[in-house]
Amino acid sequence: MDQIEDLLNRPKAYYNIDGVGELAMGFMCLSVGLLMWLQAHAPKGSVWHGMPAFIIYWGLMCLILHYGPQAIKKRITYPRTGFVQYRARDSRWRPAILGAVAAAGGTVGLAIALRRHWNMTTPASLFGLLLAATYAYHLARTVRWKWAVAGVVALGSLVIAVLPADLVGAPANHSWMGALMLTFVLYGAVLSVSGGISFWLYLRHTQAPAQEAQ
Amino acid sequence: MNPQIRAIADLDRVIHEPGRLMLVALLFAVERSDFLYLQHETGMNKGTLSSHLSRLEEAGYVEVEKTYRGKVPQTLLGLTAAGRKAFEQYRRMLKGALP
Repeated sequence: MDQIEDLLNRPKAYYNIDGVGELAMGFMCLSVGLLMWLQAHAPKGSVWHGMPAFIIYWGLMCLILHYGPQAIKKRITYPRTGFVQYRARDSRWRPAILGAVAAAGGTVGLAIALRRHWNMTTPASLFGLLLAATYAYHLARTVRWKWAVAGVVALGSLVIAVLPADLVGAPANHSWMGALMLTFVLYGAVLSVSGGISFWLYLRHTQAPAQEAQ
Repeated sequence: MNPQIRAIADLDRVIHEPGRLMLVALLFAVERSDFLYLQHETGMNKGTLSSHLSRLEEAGYVEVEKTYRGKVPQTLLGLTAAGRKAFEQYRRMLKGALP
């Protein structure tokens, strides 16, 4: 029965066979980190503090996140190792609901933390440990070397937790965003490198079959 | 007859064959996929894969759609409602048959 369960999980793992899932996540984290840096360093009254720039930035990021992976899959992955259309309930509703719940929880948590003037280092580190555990469960189980990536994310989260608050806040002009920014940049960099290695390995070990019926 | 032994004897033989079991399990987890994906995941050659898919199509478990990706012919495959039901029943019976 275990083998059947493994087979049932293979299509989900296939989504990241080319590392595109991680590249997208890495891009998202780095983009959020960059936005935080811009907001922390831009002078008061700058466009980066205004709502229109915020909306355009997020809109562009979402467009790239939506169409970028699709384009790579269509041009590179499907011709090499095949096309998969996921079931609608797997690909749309569950992630959307989970994302909405996580976003709502995160927003409430952030609001409470800021209102009580809590240090953001601990929540950011806890978020990092949660991300490392999720990453290990979904990705590292199928690809062994990705345990190292999960380890780096977990270790990075712990380092952020033990660093002095002044040091953590320095990149963001000592604002509360420092720990979050550092966290996003760390995860973004790690996931981008891991996704990039996966993509390179995928290109190296696969090639499109001859142009005939598939 | 021992109920566990009867459960084994009653297993759907179309699905129970290892090659077809792999295909049905993979297709159960997706809406549909193409021939190349199934070939990549199972490691079967084209002839063997075609033969198993034909058997599943005959049983009414798999539906096949011939289409094109650009200028390249593409064969899309998905489980029918009967195929999904048969696989769910197969899993239930197998769980019951195993200690």
